[in-house]
Amino acid sequence: MYLMKTILEAEGLSKMYGEKTALDALNLKLSTGEIFSLLGPNGAGKSTTINLFLGFIQPSAGAARINGIDASKDPVGIKQHLAYIPEQVMLYQNLSGRENLALLSALAGYEYSQAELDQFLVNAGLQSDAIHKRVGSYSKGMRQKVGIAAAVAKNAKVLLLDEPTSGLDPKASNEFSELLLRLSQAGTTIFMATHDIFRAREVSQRIGIMKAGSLIDQIEAGNLNAGELEQLYLDYMKS
Amino acid sequence: MIRNITQKERISSIRDKRFIILGSIILILLLTSAATGIINYRVLAAERKLAQSTATENFNNQPDRHPHRVAHYGSYAFRPKSVLSFLDFGLDSYTGTMVYLEAHQQNSANFSQVQQSGAMIRFGEMTIAFVMQWLIPLLIIFLCFNTFTLEHEEGTLKVLLSQGVSMKAIAKAKLLGYIHVISMIIFPAFFFVFLFVLSMNNFLLDGDLLLRTAVFMLTYLLYFFIFITGSILISAVNKHSRTALVTLLGIWIFSIVLMPKALSNLGSSFYEEPSKAAMDASVHEESKNGIDGHDPLDKRLAQFKQGLLEKYQVDSLSQLPVNVDGLIMALGEESSSQIYQEHFDELVAIYEDQNRLSVWAGFINPYLAIRNISMSMAGTDFFHYVDFLNAAEKYRYALTQHLNNLQATKVAHKDKTTRLSADIYATYPPFYYKGPAFTKALANVAVSIVALAFWTALIYGLIILTMNKKKNLI
Repeated sequence: MYLMKTILEAEGLSKMYGEKTALDALNLKLSTGEIFSLLGPNGAGKSTTINLFLGFIQPSAGAARINGIDASKDPVGIKQHLAYIPEQVMLYQNLSGRENLALLSALAGYEYSQAELDQFLVNAGLQSDAIHKRVGSYSKGMRQKVGIAAAVAKNAKVLLLDEPTSGLDPKASNEFSELLLRLSQAGTTIFMATHDIFRAREVSQRIGIMKAGSLIDQIEAGNLNAGELEQLYLDYMKS
Repeated sequence: MIRNITQKERISSIRDKRFIILGSIILILLLTSAATGIINYRVLAAERKLAQSTATENFNNQPDRHPHRVAHYGSYAFRPKSVLSFLDFGLDSYTGTMVYLEAHQQNSANFSQVQQSGAMIRFGEMTIAFVMQWLIPLLIIFLCFNTFTLEHEEGTLKVLLSQGVSMKAIAKAKLLGYIHVISMIIFPAFFFVFLFVLSMNNFLLDGDLLLRTAVFMLTYLLYFFIFITGSILISAVNKHSRTALVTLLGIWIFSIVLMPKALSNLGSSFYEEPSKAAMDASVHEESKNGIDGHDPLDKRLAQFKQGLLEKYQVDSLSQLPVNVDGLIMALGEESSSQIYQEHFDELVAIYEDQNRLSVWAGFINPYLAIRNISMSMAGTDFFHYVDFLNAAEKYRYALTQHLNNLQATKVAHKDKTTRLSADIYATYPPFYYKGPAFTKALANVAVSIVALAFWTALIYGLIILTMNKKKNLI
């Protein structure tokens, strides 16, 4: 069992674009091994939250911390502790899955043997005959698997996922959920922005609902079934 | 970390058909232009060597003649081709290659390549310098324009940055990556060029030649570095590949096509040179007013004759122990040569003023800097051309005065029938020309070298500054 240590924290985190509030005073704490899903329509502030944790944008107020490191103060250092998987895992088309993973791992400071790299990819669900093929021929699901393999190879404490199951077929989506649960059990904290209410409920311990830059509710996923969660979400969106 | 991204850029480029096709074309063009340059050099060098030896032979084998007749028969100075002229034809195609050397007259250099070739030569020649100054920058632009914008557009920049890499590290790695990629084309070409240079000198090591080749290659490497860094910088500050490409092509057109022509026109407007006819008329006019050996009415000539009579204490010119005609010729030659040289120096100064605009503009446009250095190291620039003209004039003057001296000492006054043996004339050494030494050529392009170094430091500083400013933000 892992100690329930806070690994990811948003404290009064806000982002303004001129007069427009993209994120309004977000307060959030995630513990080691926890999976947290953030539901909300487009423009609700989900991706902004992820970008703030990644240090890609500067907050207007507040702080985004991972393992105690403030993203705005040490945007390079914070990335030692996190891995990021966007909606479309973009990799280098001219490189194979193995070469992409080798590059990403090396950039994170990890040099692996070819056998180790292949093992990461196979563990992430990539078929062994695809490992040496150029990524240009990969499906979205295969690229997601390379992304997951990169996160695991990096020994990331926190995984930031932005719409990871969007566009995946049900089988690939199911495999992806299983992977997340395995990572969580191994102690990885997962913060996932998604539209997929069913997957969110299936894998998460907690679910946040976001609207117009504000986190308007946090729910223990086990307290509601998928239908009830969907209804609650729709009610919030109507109000 | 940097090594990994560098390696990725190299692998990606090698697997990119764009690079394979364009790179192969450039490499073939480089080797083809080297080969044609060498053939061109060998043909022209042999032609000029033969022409010079024929002129010397004709001079040595002329019939017995009066010295002044020989002075008017004259000789020829052919400009030898610089060994490295195959790298950069420079002004060679437009400047004359032969000067007719005769008494009283400083003739222009004639028979330029352009005069003897079809109109197509005016559109420029395919030389190594052309490929390196014009085409390799284009290849660099097509390779690098989307180095950052594509990462933006495809979302890979976020993936890279999320691994904990700084923008500065990515930029440095990309720079190294593209330097490796361009080196794959440049270094084989340089290797062959080096072999060609050695082969043309019969594989004998000539310090001057090697130093010129080394500076030629090193400064081109700086030029390519400037274009690689500049292209990466433009890609980093633009969001879209199309904008970056259009910007870079705009810079290329402005700096390589438009600005040099505009500066050339500007130079001619600021510093207008006299026409050849006007200069000749001035020289003639001033010579006429001074001492002219063919003008018995000239006052100064009379004074000179009177001076001779007083000096030798004789009553008539025929009583002088020397032939006054030869002395008068020598004096006239000295005067007209001095006048011509003054006008020629003024003309050269005007051309240098015109060129100085382009030289200093190297601080605005690195193409102008490399163009000057390239021509200078190849021995085909204005400096080398003027050096030849001065050498030809020096020889002409010395030869004419030698003949005037023969007339003064070996032919009697008013004797126009005596013929001196051709053997006497054959003892005079033939025209031999060796271009300026490397150090002189280098000193002549010192400003351009500083300009290129300035650009190298500036562009590298700019990319580091930009990346520091961008931090890790997207």
